[in-house]
Amino acid sequence: MSAAATTFMAGRMGLDRKRMRGIGLGAIPFLVLLGAWELNTFMGWLKPVYIPPLRAVVDAVFTLQEGCSALGILGMHESCLFTNHILSSLGRVGLGLVVGVPLGIGLGVLAGMSRRLSNAMEPVGVFANAISGIAWVPLAIVWFGVGWFTTLFILLNTVFWLVFFNTLLGVRSVPRTYEHSVLTLGGNRWHIISQVYIPGALPSIVTGVRMGIGFGWRALIAAEMIGGNTGLGFMIFVSANEYKVEEVFLGVLLIGIIWMVTDRIILVPLEKWTIERWGLVWRPS
Amino acid sequence: MEGNAVMREKLIVEGLSHHYPDEYTGMDIHALDNVNLKVTEGEFAAVVGPSGCGKTTLLNILAGLLPHKVGSVRVDGHEVKGPGPDRGVVFQEHAILPWRTVERNIGHGLEIQGLPAPERKRRVQEFVDLVGLTGFENRYPHELSGGMKQRVALARTLCANPVVMLMDEPFAAVDAQTRITLQEELNRIAIATRKTILFITHNVDEAAFLGDRCFIFTRRPGKLKATVKINLPRESRVWKNAVADPAFTGARDEILSLVREEVRDDDG
Repeated sequence: MSAAATTFMAGRMGLDRKRMRGIGLGAIPFLVLLGAWELNTFMGWLKPVYIPPLRAVVDAVFTLQEGCSALGILGMHESCLFTNHILSSLGRVGLGLVVGVPLGIGLGVLAGMSRRLSNAMEPVGVFANAISGIAWVPLAIVWFGVGWFTTLFILLNTVFWLVFFNTLLGVRSVPRTYEHSVLTLGGNRWHIISQVYIPGALPSIVTGVRMGIGFGWRALIAAEMIGGNTGLGFMIFVSANEYKVEEVFLGVLLIGIIWMVTDRIILVPLEKWTIERWGLVWRPS
Repeated sequence: MEGNAVMREKLIVEGLSHHYPDEYTGMDIHALDNVNLKVTEGEFAAVVGPSGCGKTTLLNILAGLLPHKVGSVRVDGHEVKGPGPDRGVVFQEHAILPWRTVERNIGHGLEIQGLPAPERKRRVQEFVDLVGLTGFENRYPHELSGGMKQRVALARTLCANPVVMLMDEPFAAVDAQTRITLQEELNRIAIATRKTILFITHNVDEAAFLGDRCFIFTRRPGKLKATVKINLPRESRVWKNAVADPAFTGARDEILSLVREEVRDDDG
């Protein structure tokens, strides 16, 4: 291996160590909050009706899952309340992404290529982005009733526009020389789209997907509270009505945890495999 | 006889004029005026002129990236109507794709042509070696120096095997030391591949060092002012010797004075 390659590898390893230290630092605020929570239970400052003990929150999982088998979780059996709520929220986000992301990327690329299409779509996009996901809920309930359609509509409204706009901006920011070089190598329009616009816009697309999932997830929870009959938002809402604070806590914690896991397990590695590897992001050395 | 001569002329530009509206003011800009030139097979032709003389406009028209209305441009007898793989272009900078490795950038033209992977790999390796990038096949552009990136761009164009290679100030953005090395390398590669090359530059030394012939352009509207032949065998061109060779210095001084006539009035 050449000397240059060796330093390259050493640099990589140094980076991993730095990353580990970063993760360690990021855990501190969580540990502090957890400590304060346990201390409150121990000292009895705030009553369990306001802040339930951590133990009660963990127990709530078992209460909600009572009588549920491993197979029942997958089959979404009615005894598996807790996992059913998680799975239905995740399913909605997943469906919203499966429909919204390709649609947003597709139309975003087309709008990035055509001034006419982007001029036509930009104002309505700004308008739609301004109406937060939750503002659509009452109308969506009137149109689609309580259930899947309503939540999906809310989610699509956030995911699609964010992905669309970011893709559009990403395509516009790709240097023209890339396009010209592929054309002079004999490339056609399809080569330009698949080999220049989409990879070139990827940093922007990933930002759009990230924002889309983030905002979409929040809007979904809100939509489930008002216009849902399953899902984590619905679970929180029902539990609050029944004064089951530990279930409310459980739901809120899970919303945060699920988002963090999605971001760290899917989006961050995706960014590392593509954008960072291609040197398209500025990274402090 | 006549037909044979036409076949040997790979690039023919006849009566080419071009106007375009200024991007900001909308005023009509007369960029090129009745340009006529011919480049024969295997020839290295340099185009020199003051800034804004329409050199880049000319290159974009030849590449087919800019449509022309007046005059004709023929490559290997075919009228240019748009971009095509018969004319390879090496751009000034930022033209190799950051998301492709060195190997995949160089093989991009062959990939578009649909050449099967094993054959492609063999051809790519040939050009990787030719431009001295052996061992860097799997690197991404951001891991390379400016000079190495331009080697990749050069290899990518050569690997697609165009009839004519067009180069638009390819070494303008690299440092002076690297530029000298790249000029000598390009000379060696041009000899080895016997490519027909049209090389655009504003650097007089570069034009005299690389060219068999040098076309000097007037300032805007750009037209062909003079053609200077450089009587120095390309095989013997190295910077160390060229600077002391009257065949090089004579041609360079002649080109320089022709170019200076065009810039004198502006710069005082």
